[in-house]
Amino acid sequence: MLKITDLKAEVDGKEILRGINLEVKPGEVHAIMGPNGSGKSTLASVLAGRDIFKVTGGKVEFKGKNLLNLIPEERSREGIFLAFQYPVEIPGVSITNFMRAAVDEHRKHKGFDPMNASQFLRYMKEKKALVELDAKLEGRAVNEGFSGGEKKKNEIFQMAMLEPDLAILDETDSGLDIDALKVVANGVNKLKTKENATIVITHYQRLLDYIVPDIIHVLYNGRIVKTGGRELALELEKYGYDEIKKEADKRF
Amino acid sequence: MTQTNIKNKTFADLYSGTKDFLLPNIVRKKSTNLFDKIKLPNNKTENWRKFNSDSIFKHNYKLGKKLSVETKDLDSLSFFEPSGNYVILVNGFFHSGNVKNTDLNNNIFIGSLKDAQKTHSEIISGRLNTQNTETENYFSVLNDAYAKDGAFIYVPENVILDEPIYIMHFIQSDNGNIFSQNRNLIIAGKNTAFKIIHTYHSLSSDFSFNNSLTDIFADEKAQLEYYLFEGEGNTAAHVNNININSEKGSSFKSNIVTFCGSVVRNNIYAEFKNEFAEVNLQGIYMPDKEQTVDNFIEIKHAKPNCRSNQIFKGIIDNKAVAVFTGKVFVAKDAQKTDSAQSNQNLLLTDYARVHSRPQLEIYADDVVCSHGSTTGQLDNEALFYMKTRGIPEKRAKTMLMKAFLRDVTDKINVTGYREYVNFLISKRLKGQSPESLCSVKVCPSC
Repeated sequence: MLKITDLKAEVDGKEILRGINLEVKPGEVHAIMGPNGSGKSTLASVLAGRDIFKVTGGKVEFKGKNLLNLIPEERSREGIFLAFQYPVEIPGVSITNFMRAAVDEHRKHKGFDPMNASQFLRYMKEKKALVELDAKLEGRAVNEGFSGGEKKKNEIFQMAMLEPDLAILDETDSGLDIDALKVVANGVNKLKTKENATIVITHYQRLLDYIVPDIIHVLYNGRIVKTGGRELALELEKYGYDEIKKEADKRF
Repeated sequence: MTQTNIKNKTFADLYSGTKDFLLPNIVRKKSTNLFDKIKLPNNKTENWRKFNSDSIFKHNYKLGKKLSVETKDLDSLSFFEPSGNYVILVNGFFHSGNVKNTDLNNNIFIGSLKDAQKTHSEIISGRLNTQNTETENYFSVLNDAYAKDGAFIYVPENVILDEPIYIMHFIQSDNGNIFSQNRNLIIAGKNTAFKIIHTYHSLSSDFSFNNSLTDIFADEKAQLEYYLFEGEGNTAAHVNNININSEKGSSFKSNIVTFCGSVVRNNIYAEFKNEFAEVNLQGIYMPDKEQTVDNFIEIKHAKPNCRSNQIFKGIIDNKAVAVFTGKVFVAKDAQKTDSAQSNQNLLLTDYARVHSRPQLEIYADDVVCSHGSTTGQLDNEALFYMKTRGIPEKRAKTMLMKAFLRDVTDKINVTGYREYVNFLISKRLKGQSPESLCSVKVCPSC
């Protein structure tokens, strides 16, 4: 589904990604872990199409298409979803109108007519129940005045609405208490199918107790320096990143 | 009649040979003398520095005549209710009006100010000539000197109206550039509650210059909602002097939508004549092309325990210019004054300009006064966030701009009118030109 080959990217002339290689197949859950500043969030942003990052090399194939040639809205309609580490507040735009526009555009892309108001509200209700989102959020402006937990739940709700092929969760666990974390993880697990894939970006292994990955990658200094199974997370939890850092520093 | 260049004080020439002026000759004599002394505002005139009078006075004008307006021209004004209370004026002259029959014979007056001078002279006399040094300017004095008619709205004590009263002004040229004036008087009697929708439109595409003056009296405990819509075309200049007199316990809430016009200057002066009154001024403006919208607001807290609030928001496109001056004066004895002011602007291009000047002059020591002004571009973070959800840039921008204006448009308390305003805003934000939207003759919903 996603094939990243030797991806390099910089911001303000500073190289952050120094050659990422990663392949994600349908049905897989990948976790990308790594110390602060290793390039995890940059990778997520580059995949979503944020223009402050300049891609200087490599390629990204998504469902056979050159992802790097698509603008962010096209990437979304093709099936990429980024759950933001810091979801943006949009005063004056209600969640309902926001999602209506997004779902409209996704349907248009697939050649479907827009849903009428009652269809849409039913669809929204269904997805809200799925991710256990409080009913009271829908009348409010997007993320405005939301608590950290509400913002993250709202991301998962949007993911449920848009049914992406590839969801990238950028530090979705940051700032969450254990109850909110469970709700968020539960939502992600419910949305999991054999056809879609998930990339979970996290600093801590805590989230991986709830969203169990098939493959774990450790990102350090802009490169994936170690890949392994579930046991890698436990190892990191126990020994920290120091060993892996030392080893990588020797290699590069 | 030939067109006259009015830059060189030739208004007297323009009006020579005409009669039936509104104000008594004794007042007019004073005004014409004063007018000869007042200079046309230029970039050195305090309070008018950014006002672009050249673009008005470079044209020649002739006086607008008392012309007719066809009912089909009103079709595109979807908010208008022809069976309701209204007064229609063309080039400042009374055209038609209607007072809806009600069970209560309330002695409401909705019609021509000139006509009302004969029937309501006692009510009008003390309230027609109330300009003072604070409200006097080149254009108000010009209006004093030569205005001939306008709307008069009188709602006597204890009357409550659910439906709005419409005052609709049209500029209509029979050939050539038109200069016209209108003088309006609105009296909200004691304990009244009603809404006014006051609109300006043009029916022709010649240049026009409209000099309006409206005096508003909110008597004791009156609750007046005043909606002003400035939708004259892209070749129309408009100077609009509005003076608000707030009596004890009254509430005046206004919402000004400046949608079109080549140069628009709103000169708003509100004075608290007694305690416990409230003035709430809101406005939106959306200048495009090379339009200029200049809002000058002065609120005088002469008495204690009053509240004032200003929220003005603008979206400035192309090479347009917006000017906002919000002055709040709090007199020494005006303790417990509560005053807030906010001006927010979105610039859509590198050429669009904003001049925002909040001014506070406070002589009392127990007051709450706040002010704030922001000018910026659309939030790029929000735009990116929306795009990652599949919303294309243009749609995302439109949504953000509508959201920016929403807290002002949502406060429009008359459904049909609010829908009309939102409809025009949507069309405009989607890129439709102001010319096509402001032409009353082109049905905007077609």
